Amino acid sequence: MNTHFRSRTARGVAVVSALALTLTACGREGDGGGEGGASASPGITDESVTLGITTPLSGATAGPGTCTVAGVKAYFGAKNAEGGVEFGDGKTRTVDIRALDDTYDPQQAKANYDQLKNEVFAMTAGLGTPTNRAWRDAAIADEVPQVLVMTGDPLFSDTDESPWQLGFVPIYQNEGEAFGELLASSTEEHKVAILSQNDDYGEGYVEGFKSAIEGADNIEVVEELTYEATDTSVDAQLTELANSGADVFFNAMSVTPLMISALQKAQQLNWKPSWFLPSNTSSPGAILEPGGAAAYPGIYSVSFAKAPASPAFAQDEDVQAYLAALKEHGDYQDPPAFPHCQWSWMVGATLEQAFAEMTEPTRENFMEALRGIEGFQAPLMLEGTSVTTSEDGQPAVSTLNVQKFNGKGYDTVESFG
Amino acid sequence: MASASSLSTSSPSTPSPAGQSFRQRPWVRMAFPLVVAVVLAVLPLVLPEFANETVARIGVFAVAVLGLNVVMGYTGQVSLGQIFFLGVGAYVTAYGVQNDWNIVLVFVLACLIPAVAGLIVALAAARLGGLAIAMVTVALPIVGVPLAKRLSEFTGGSQGLSARFAETPEWTGLYDDQWQLYLVLVIGGVVFLLTRYLVRGKYGRAFAIVKGNENVASSMGISPYRYKVLAFTIASLIGGVSGFLYMLVIQYTSPETMSFGHSIELLAAMVIGGAGSIVGSILGGAWYVLVPQLTNAVDASLTALLQGAVLLIVLFVLPGGLASLPRVLARGRRRSGADRGPGAPPTTPSSTAGSGTAAEGSERERQGLA
Repeated sequence: MNTHFRSRTARGVAVVSALALTLTACGREGDGGGEGGASASPGITDESVTLGITTPLSGATAGPGTCTVAGVKAYFGAKNAEGGVEFGDGKTRTVDIRALDDTYDPQQAKANYDQLKNEVFAMTAGLGTPTNRAWRDAAIADEVPQVLVMTGDPLFSDTDESPWQLGFVPIYQNEGEAFGELLASSTEEHKVAILSQNDDYGEGYVEGFKSAIEGADNIEVVEELTYEATDTSVDAQLTELANSGADVFFNAMSVTPLMISALQKAQQLNWKPSWFLPSNTSSPGAILEPGGAAAYPGIYSVSFAKAPASPAFAQDEDVQAYLAALKEHGDYQDPPAFPHCQWSWMVGATLEQAFAEMTEPTRENFMEALRGIEGFQAPLMLEGTSVTTSEDGQPAVSTLNVQKFNGKGYDTVESFG
Repeated sequence: MASASSLSTSSPSTPSPAGQSFRQRPWVRMAFPLVVAVVLAVLPLVLPEFANETVARIGVFAVAVLGLNVVMGYTGQVSLGQIFFLGVGAYVTAYGVQNDWNIVLVFVLACLIPAVAGLIVALAAARLGGLAIAMVTVALPIVGVPLAKRLSEFTGGSQGLSARFAETPEWTGLYDDQWQLYLVLVIGGVVFLLTRYLVRGKYGRAFAIVKGNENVASSMGISPYRYKVLAFTIASLIGGVSGFLYMLVIQYTSPETMSFGHSIELLAAMVIGGAGSIVGSILGGAWYVLVPQLTNAVDASLTALLQGAVLLIVLFVLPGGLASLPRVLARGRRRSGADRGPGAPPTTPSSTAGSGTAAEGSERERQGLA
C-alpha cells in the first residue's frame, strides 16, 4: 500500500516539476521573435502587421461596436486582397485584425488589452469611453499605441496627458458647437428646449452649443432638463418641454431606445419642433425610421461621413467600394446601420496614411508618423471635413458638417430652416 | 472507466477508498496546504505575463464570489447587490489613492465603508424574508450606477477614476504583473482563510441553521435576524476587499463597474462554482474571468450566445456547481465499478456544498461499510 502511495506522490511531484519547467521555458519570452529585425516592436514582421481592437460585440452597444470592427476589417481586407499595404520602409505588409468583445465592461476591456498587448502592434478603433479609459494608463506604461479610438472624451486627444493615445471622432463639444453656430446664423427668432444626459456626454454637448449661441440675440433657451442614462423613459421631461413652446429641440441623448421613444412621444404630444440629434443617435435606419421622424419639420445632426443610404451618394465611388468591401471582408452583410461602420473605414484609411510614413517597424515611429497627418481627406469623408492629427487637444477629426434629414438620408445644409 | 472497474475487481485496493485514506493521512493533511502555498508562491515567477494577469483577475472575482457565498451559499439569503459593494470598495480605493492617502488606510477604508453600507442595508433588509431581501438588494446596483455618475466630485462621473498604485518596489526585482499577483494572492488568501474558519466554526453552524430553518434557529436561541445581518455585513466587507483588489489589478473604475448585469453574472458564477463552497468560490471567480476569454477565442461576435450555452450545459450536467464535480465523478466511478444499480444512493442534485460536507461524510461511511 505504502509504495503505491509513494509512487503516486512521486509521479505527482514529477508532473508538477515538469510542468513548472515547461512554463519557465515558455515564460518571459515577450520580446517576440527576431523576424522583423532586432528593434521591431511586437505584432509586426516584414510580411504582416497585426492590429488589436477591444469593443462591445455583444450587449446593448453591440450594434455600433460591431461596426467599429467591420469597417476597419473591410478596409484592410480589401487592401490585403490587393497584396497588402505599402509601408514607409519600403516593405509591403498585410494587415491582420484581432478583435475581442468587451461587452462595454471596463474590466473585460482591460483583460482584452492584456491579452492583446504583446501580440499586436497597435490597438485601434475600439468604441466606448469607460472601456477605453480602463486601459489608458496601462497602455501609456507599456508604450502601446491606443489610437483612433471611438470616444468623444477630450482626454484622449490631450498629447501631454495621453502620449500614446489619439481619439478619432469629434469630441462632444465640437458637435454641439457646430449646431449652435448654424442656429445662431439663422435670420429668425428661435426658442430652444434642451434635454441632455446628466453626465459629461450631455454636458459636453450643451457646453459646446451654448458657447456657440452666446451673444446671438435671436436664440433663447426656454427650458433645460436632464435625464439619467439609466432611465427607461423620458416622457415626463418631454411633456414639460413641450409646454415651453420651443420650436427647436436640442436633444443630447446617447441611448438608442430612448431616442426612438422620445421621437414618438413628442408626436403624441403634438409637439413638432426641429430636432438636433447627436451623431451617434441619428441613424436613419435604426432610429429615425422607427421613431417616425418624417413628422417633424427638420431633423438635424452633424456628420463628417457620407451616409451610404442617402441617394446623393448612391453613385459615389467611395461608397460603392466601401459597401462591397464591407460585405466581402467585413463580415457585415446588411446595409450599415450605424455611422461607426463608416468611421471605422476611415480609421483604416488614416492608419494606412501613417503606415506609409513609417520608416522603422516600431511603435514610437508609428506614433510619430500618425501625429503628422494634416488635412487628409479620407474616403467617405464629406466635403469640408478632414483628418488632422497634428493639433494638440483635438481628435483626428474635429471638423463637422451640419446635416438635415431628407426622409432617407442626410444632406449637408448651410443654413437653418 | 473500464480500466477503473477492472482495477477494482482485480486488486483489493480500489482507487477511491485509497484516495480517501490518502487524504486522511495526517502528513498529507499537513503537507497539502504547504504544497498549495509553495505552488502559489512559485507560480507567479514561472507563468507568462498574461497568465499572471488572468490569475490575478480570477483572484479579484473569487473574493467577490466568496463574499456572495457567505450571505447566499452559507446563510441562504438571496443577494443581487454584491457588485455594489465591489464598486464601493473600488471607488473608495481610487479616491484614496488619488488623494495620496496612506495605502493601508485606504485598504482599511475600502473594507469598512462597504461593510457599514452593507450593515445599514442589512438592518432594514434582513427584517424581510426570502425573495423580499432579493428585491431590496436589487436596488443597490440600480441606485449605485446613477449615484456614481452624480457624485462626480468623488467618482469622476461617468468618465470614472483611474488609479495606479502599489508600484513594484525596486528591491523585489519583480515585474509589475508578478508583484500584483503576489499582492492579490496574499490579500485574497487571507480573506479565504478567515472566511473558511468563519464558516466552519460556530458562526458557520449558525448560518447553516438560519439557512435551513429560521424557526428552528430561533428555538435554539439563534436570532435569524442578527445572523442574517452579520452574514450580509461580512459579505459587504469581503465585497469591499474585492473592490480594493479590483483597483489593484484593473486600475480603473467607472459606473459601468457596478452595473446590474455584473451582479447577475457574479451570482451565476457563484452557482456555477458551487454555492456554499470555498473551492466553489475560486471556481466561480475562474468562471467569471475565463468564460468571456474562452468565448472570445471561439468567436468574438457570438460571446453572449456561447456564454449562455455554456451556462446552461454546466447547470444541466452539474446542478451542484463545478465544486461538485469530484463527487459526481466519484459517484459515477463507484456506480460503474460496484454496479450497485438501483441501490445506488439517491443522488441529491441540489446538494449545495453546505450539505456537501455532510454528503462527503456519508459517502465515507458508506465506503467504510463496503
